Amino acid sequence: MLEQEQALLSQVTSAFPVKGKVMRNRRVEVWAESTTVSSILMYVKNQMGYQHLNHITCIDRIEDTKFQLVYTVFSHQTKMTLFVKTFIDRNAPVMDNIDHIWDQANTYERELREMYGIQFPGLVGAQEFILEDWDEMPPMRRDFKTEEYSEKTFSSLPGRENTQDVRETISTRSGEEIPDFAKKYSRD
Amino acid sequence: METKKDSQTIAEYIKNWSRKHSLFVMAYGTGCGAIEIPATMTSRYDAERLGIRGAATPRQADVLLITGYLATKTLKRVIRVYEQMQDPKYVIAFGSCTINGGMYYDSYNTINVLEKYIPVDVYINGCMPRPEAVIAGFKQLQDKIARGDADNGTRYKENLDWYRANQQQVIKNWRMPDYNW
Repeated sequence: MLEQEQALLSQVTSAFPVKGKVMRNRRVEVWAESTTVSSILMYVKNQMGYQHLNHITCIDRIEDTKFQLVYTVFSHQTKMTLFVKTFIDRNAPVMDNIDHIWDQANTYERELREMYGIQFPGLVGAQEFILEDWDEMPPMRRDFKTEEYSEKTFSSLPGRENTQDVRETISTRSGEEIPDFAKKYSRD
Repeated sequence: METKKDSQTIAEYIKNWSRKHSLFVMAYGTGCGAIEIPATMTSRYDAERLGIRGAATPRQADVLLITGYLATKTLKRVIRVYEQMQDPKYVIAFGSCTINGGMYYDSYNTINVLEKYIPVDVYINGCMPRPEAVIAGFKQLQDKIARGDADNGTRYKENLDWYRANQQQVIKNWRMPDYNW
């Protein structure tokens, strides 16, 4: 039962000072220090056949003032997915650039730089990735107030603040009763 | 709707009658609503029987369809397309997002009210409007043209300062060409 996964986990944990666990069938995660992530990725790519970088994800842990980064790599031989997870400081978010390991990491990193403000030293590419003329806080951070910003910049028409059930509005306007079968969907 | 034949000269009447039967739609889809356009144009609903057909470039087009949500980045392109179109030009706003934000009302990157940036002739509500609704909207536009009310191109030029101020509020780094029309 899950021998392959245990073997992968023990191979990574014996080579690096990391903790980890088998999540389920063909899913293994390891928790690493942010400075060792690039060497883990280099090792699993070159020595263990994890050739494919699926994704780099960022999660905003605003309560702990940390960003969690998740590197997802996949092996075409064993069909297993390895998640390398790490925390970086939210107030000074700097992470190792890994686009010398995978070229396509450049795209993800540029997106993370724009959407979360994480800096990757040595990252090549224009500062502007998807957004144009953006001079506010990076918009995917959780303390960015998107509704406030939208109201300030785009100012919608009146009418949205009324969250009353639209059927009640129609029934009072037209003088018709809401039928019984529809009442169970009403907001109370 | 009633066409006001009496208040128009015969030349205007004929001009408007022929304009309403050849609406060339700019082939430019902005949001998710563009997916309803193939359904409207192809054999089941066949919009071409009403004289509605696609046009490849802004200078050949009469109608600009804003199909759904409009990102600020797309708004820049839409303004350029609209300003390149020749008079008479009409705008149909398509879906809830163009009216008051729709489901993207709190998005940091989509505008809420389209009418602040370019003048709109006809609104089609719905999320998404089905091809019947799209054709009903085009019918409304045709009636408006036949009445001689569809002069939003002129209105845009007359109120250009107001529109520019609204546009520049959203597009912060304004690097757009000026047209002398």
